[in-house]
Amino acid sequence: MSAKQQAPAYALAATFNSPKDIYKAAGKVREKGFTHWECYTPFMVHGLDKQMGMPRSKVPVFTFMGGITGFFTGMLIVWYMNAYDYPLIVGGKPYFSPIYPFPVFYELTILLAAFGTFFGMFLSNKLPRHNHPVFAYSRFAETSDDKFALVIEAIDAKFDEDETKDFLKKIGGKRITLIREEEG
Amino acid sequence: MSAAEGKDAHAGLKTKFLAAAVAGCTLGMIGLYMGITNDEPDPRPILGWLLGLGFWLSIAVGMLMLTMLLRIFRSSWGVVVRRQLEHGLHAFPVLAACFAPLLLIAWFGEGQAGILWQWINPANELPELVDGSRHHVSEDILYLKKSGYLNIPFFSIRAIIYFGIFCGLAHWMRKCSFEQDKDGSPKWTVLGHHISAIGIPAAALALTFAAFDWFMSLEYHWFSTMFGVWFFAGSMRAGLAVTIIICFFQSTRGQLKGIYNQAHRYDLACLSLTFTIFWAYISFSQYFLIYQANIPEETFWYQIREINPITEEKITWWWVSMGLVFGHFLAPFLYLLWYRNKIDVQRLLVAACWILSFHLLDMYWNILPGRVLADNSLGYLPREFTISHWDIAAIIGIGGLCGLRYLQSLNQSEVEDIPVRDPQILESIHHHE
Repeated sequence: MSAKQQAPAYALAATFNSPKDIYKAAGKVREKGFTHWECYTPFMVHGLDKQMGMPRSKVPVFTFMGGITGFFTGMLIVWYMNAYDYPLIVGGKPYFSPIYPFPVFYELTILLAAFGTFFGMFLSNKLPRHNHPVFAYSRFAETSDDKFALVIEAIDAKFDEDETKDFLKKIGGKRITLIREEEG
Repeated sequence: MSAAEGKDAHAGLKTKFLAAAVAGCTLGMIGLYMGITNDEPDPRPILGWLLGLGFWLSIAVGMLMLTMLLRIFRSSWGVVVRRQLEHGLHAFPVLAACFAPLLLIAWFGEGQAGILWQWINPANELPELVDGSRHHVSEDILYLKKSGYLNIPFFSIRAIIYFGIFCGLAHWMRKCSFEQDKDGSPKWTVLGHHISAIGIPAAALALTFAAFDWFMSLEYHWFSTMFGVWFFAGSMRAGLAVTIIICFFQSTRGQLKGIYNQAHRYDLACLSLTFTIFWAYISFSQYFLIYQANIPEETFWYQIREINPITEEKITWWWVSMGLVFGHFLAPFLYLLWYRNKIDVQRLLVAACWILSFHLLDMYWNILPGRVLADNSLGYLPREFTISHWDIAAIIGIGGLCGLRYLQSLNQSEVEDIPVRDPQILESIHHHE
């Protein structure tokens, strides 16, 4: 029991009863300048990401880089195999040209762009991840039913257990709970 | 009330469109007349008319397909945009009327009936030499084999069917939307959905065969099953570009002020990007298959767009071709990949104007090159790329007519600015990314 109390605080959580409440509260948290915080809702709340001040996803950059890599990999393959390592005339086509092997460039562009998207998503979400401290939150299951939770993490520079608790109360948060890191 | 205000606001624009239509069409008609009556008949003014017609027709066809696509997917975001498309569809009967002079030449042009479409006149000389001498269309085995399809009566009937499909679908798309403004009945939504389900394949066939008949048969020896798809892809790009431009004006100073938002813009831009890729995909596929097969019957079509076959020097079309690869595909593709370019009002407007300009160049590239009879070992030389005053007259004239029709539809007092009684109108107004 005492060991559990010793565990460091992970975050403060508060619940809200409607999308409107959490939407308003999220705006206030953002204005206050918190950076390490998250909203958990049972369904997608349109515009909440913008209200939280979240930047656009970085995944498109990975996709683009993947695509570019694929395109030039395709070019390199064709040039190396057909024009450099073993020059071969097939069907009267030149050794290297951007036209006849275009399907190779094109397919590799798509393949590596898809890989870029997939792994970019993993990287930017810091996946794979097998557990999350918020799972220790006793009311977490309710956020997939009818409750909307706002969680401010302790690593945030502005975090102060008492002050943040008061702040969450002030912006309409109910049942404010301290979540502790799990042992081991 | 709003329509009456709109009428005043558009009075200046209407005068401009009217002036453009009168001047352009008069000059265009003079061109058609001079083309067939000159001592040395010149197909260039007639090609210019076909070019101008093809340009505006492709825009209207793109808008028709887009309207039906929004209907068939029961798209909620597009409801406010759809009203502008429906106004645009009013142009179809005028386009049909602009096509009529070309049919009249084919029927009553006598010796010059085949000045535009060579196969129409059996006495026309073939561009290439057969066994070193000139032959005529009537002796051409390739024509004789195709004459069951390529003959004036069937050609005319088909043209009437194509325009019948376009005008009929445009009429019903407009009716389903405008009638709902009056009675608010959901039956119009259902009917529009059903008509689109039949209309999409019907319009797809009509535009495919129209492209075969009017543009591909200019060089009737050549054939490509991709050609109709090319016309569809180009039409969608042009239709989307014009939609974006119209929505820009309507949202800054017209009906869509405060309604057309960033998310609508983003969706239209995404569609533009999609069809940019699609256009490149099918254009390249057509080139690629012909390049790989390497059959002279097909390759000449690309050859006259690249080099002078006698001297093997690059001609003006080579630069146009490269312009299309980099300007019509690569530049808008890379530009539209960027999120900011898709949501920013000015940046998207630039993209739309850019695509529309290059679409016109693409029409030039597909319609204008041809084999002009010449006294050399091949028997022909490629027609070079030029921008003639006949082209400009046709583009401005037919454009003016289309603009007038759009304004006429826009200013109907009983039609609301947006489909206010559409079941999905609220979803459309509150559309967000």
